[in-house]
Amino acid sequence: MFMPQTAGGSRSEHRLLSFILFVAIALTLTPVVRLFVEGVTIDDRLNLSLFSDVLTQGQTQLALKHSLITAGFGTLVSLLIGSAFAFLVALTDLRAKTTLVFCLMIPMMIPPQITALSWTQIMGPSSVLLKTLGVAPAMGAPQPLYSQGGIILLLGIQHTAIIFLTLRAGLRAIPQDVVEAARISGASGLRVWWQIILPLCLPSLAAGIAITFVTALGNFGIPAMLGIPAGYSTLPTLIYQRLSGLSSTVLAEVAVLAMVIGCVAICGILLQRFFQSRQRVHLVGSTSRPLAMPLGRARLPVEICLWLIVCAILVLPMLGLIATSLVPAYGVPLSFETVTLASWHEALFRQPSTARAFVNSLGLAGGAALVLVLICLPLAWLMERTPSRLGRLFDALVDLPYALPGVVLAIAMILLLINLPFTDATLYGTIWIIFLAYLARFLVVMFRPIQASIRQLDPAMNEAAQSVGATLFQRLRLIILPLSAPAAAAGAILVFLTAFNELTVSALLWSSGTETLGVMIFNLDDSGETVMASALAMTIVLVVMGLMAGLQISARHLPKGSLPWQT
Amino acid sequence: MKSFLTAAALACVSTASFADTLTLYTSQPNADAQKTVDAFMAANPGTEVAWVRDGTTKLMARLRAEIEAGNPQPDVLLIADTVTLEGMAQEGLLAAYQSPEATAYDPALYSAAGFYHSTKLITTGIVYNTGVETAPTSWADLNDAALKGQIAMPSPLYSGAALIHLATLTGDKDLGWDYYSDLAANEARAKGGNGGTFKAVAAGEKPYGMVVDFLAIRNQAKGSPVEFVFPKEGVSYVTEPVAILSSAKNTDAAQRFVDFVLSQKGQDLVLEMGYIPARNDMGVPAGFPARADIKLMDFDPVVALQNAEANKAKFAEIFGAN
Repeated sequence: MFMPQTAGGSRSEHRLLSFILFVAIALTLTPVVRLFVEGVTIDDRLNLSLFSDVLTQGQTQLALKHSLITAGFGTLVSLLIGSAFAFLVALTDLRAKTTLVFCLMIPMMIPPQITALSWTQIMGPSSVLLKTLGVAPAMGAPQPLYSQGGIILLLGIQHTAIIFLTLRAGLRAIPQDVVEAARISGASGLRVWWQIILPLCLPSLAAGIAITFVTALGNFGIPAMLGIPAGYSTLPTLIYQRLSGLSSTVLAEVAVLAMVIGCVAICGILLQRFFQSRQRVHLVGSTSRPLAMPLGRARLPVEICLWLIVCAILVLPMLGLIATSLVPAYGVPLSFETVTLASWHEALFRQPSTARAFVNSLGLAGGAALVLVLICLPLAWLMERTPSRLGRLFDALVDLPYALPGVVLAIAMILLLINLPFTDATLYGTIWIIFLAYLARFLVVMFRPIQASIRQLDPAMNEAAQSVGATLFQRLRLIILPLSAPAAAAGAILVFLTAFNELTVSALLWSSGTETLGVMIFNLDDSGETVMASALAMTIVLVVMGLMAGLQISARHLPKGSLPWQT
Repeated sequence: MKSFLTAAALACVSTASFADTLTLYTSQPNADAQKTVDAFMAANPGTEVAWVRDGTTKLMARLRAEIEAGNPQPDVLLIADTVTLEGMAQEGLLAAYQSPEATAYDPALYSAAGFYHSTKLITTGIVYNTGVETAPTSWADLNDAALKGQIAMPSPLYSGAALIHLATLTGDKDLGWDYYSDLAANEARAKGGNGGTFKAVAAGEKPYGMVVDFLAIRNQAKGSPVEFVFPKEGVSYVTEPVAILSSAKNTDAAQRFVDFVLSQKGQDLVLEMGYIPARNDMGVPAGFPARADIKLMDFDPVVALQNAEANKAKFAEIFGAN
């Protein structure tokens, strides 16, 4: 056993921690290790020559630089929009918060490729919208989004909801008493923000920034759609370009490039953790009333401003997407003569695999969310209570499968699971390989918000329960679960929505019968059926909005604060 | 969750219950792949086809991983280009099979040893947006200074078909590498694949482009504002060859599949899907000029494979590496 005995720890906790840690490491880190072995061996011998070759290539260094720039500034954009929304929605007396947040969540549910597609539809010479307004640029004019700035902007918008959700889960835990106490002691408005609220939500903010940076780093869809036409390559698009090579060392090269992404991600996470560890506060729990500071006369202007942002990042591209799905062929202008539902009909009713894909994606996303709650909740709590070297190592590396581009994780899963050790069985070609890949990829999406919320819990509550003889499972069920339920629910919803639209992991792992919705969209777009892809993507957005509405209706049966868009 | 389990169970059952299963990896568009498989199964009752469709790049990445892990899945490949298959044949990954149907094909369209057989012709020509004033008729027209910054083309760094296009045009005695240098000087954009190029032209963002025929001709029929031109110097072509893996588990069914797609019946299907069949004496789909009027430029997959890396490097140098 690696675990040193610490005060407050018990034997059953150690056993459970070792078990869950083993499961989590097997899920997340073994595929990555298997892939890395590919990069540093030639004919089963350790060989670093390819490693240094790839690292010293100018293209690798340029792509690394581009990845750092786009992921870094993209995170900044997400941070600006996401935290502004989170602070204002969580702490002030804005009206129609539910609707506002509902709308803010939607861009995250559109796969990145489709986001990029819809944005290019509302800018540039072919834009139906601009043509109608009479301001479309001349034919042959450049598309402004095909640039570094375009990639940063869309990465920022795509991931805004991550910052928003994690930060808001943290802000929910701040009880009004704390702020009132500060006010009574004479602290002014600005000082309350700076000295009370900001330090208290720093762990969640740091967690949000970390996930956003890592997500932006591994994003393939946006740099592929906007960067490739501009000749601007990031590490994921460089990997894609390498994969189209004919050489037999291509997997090893890809493994090396994946390691570069992994290292950058780990550095980012460690930096986050450094800042985060300098701030630590314990709260009693989220049982008291949340904050509602009056905005006074600033309320209407602030509301108008927020709704304009929502319009810009949601309504405009959705209009572009709908317009594309309604034309008979790409490039045809939309008018009363040309409008047709043919592609909707074809995508939804003529392609037999669509219904299968809906069932598969719902099952995979729901299953992944459920299993990950069961793993992450006890894991985060036990790791916090019983620090161990193995736990810290896991904590530092758990982001890796999420940071790798989807196609790379998929290759790692194939290498690992095509021949199960000691048997003739294989998971390859079944839906379970996709399911395991989803667990590996999205574990951190669930883990970080729960971890941030558990760090804020006062350990005294658990110790009190322990002292009156509550068993490990009683404590987990009666104390930890209720207190971290909002974060867990937010994490589960985040996992569900991300997995439901997941596009690049399943793209290499599916086989006939196990299509996911992402595979359908990718295949349609890839084989030139952009119009049908748009129709299907729009359907998915509508389905997700329907699911969210369904959750909203059943909200009173859920723990308080678990619906991210509810006030 | 329940339906998910049912679906998973069904997936297991469907792969286990058929003794005679053929596994096909193909890069044909979805609907076309479905048609091919349905027709083959109708002609071969008792043989079940499990098939996976993906872009050639993804498919090859998947296959490489399977080979690396020692368990390649497919029996048959039906993918974009002969250069990829020539590379695999030289690595010993393909099985030689002399199909009796090959007699009805031009010897340039299949490997002499029988490693792969072409099934259709997908040519690369010029596409332009109908909103422009001048229509190009030859490859040389794209180097007109008036079109500076107006041209899009697929990049050989991303697309196999584009690499063959590059090998064909630079191998032509009149065009050669000078032609590509002039294109670069004319600020042609050579990034991404055929899909992106077509979109750029259809959207009017880059009104001229080099693109595969069926993308332009099919969408034109549906109303996209584009026109496709077979340039007077000729067109380059890829041939969607079919090949049997040396690791095939069901060689018998694989050979029947190869014979089927090369047969008159299989080629009628190709025609029906809207492609030019590779078999001699077949017609062409609506929207194409007569087969005799389509001039194919010379191309040798063995030479193209030898030069592939050098061609990519030289291209990257001229157009600026990305």
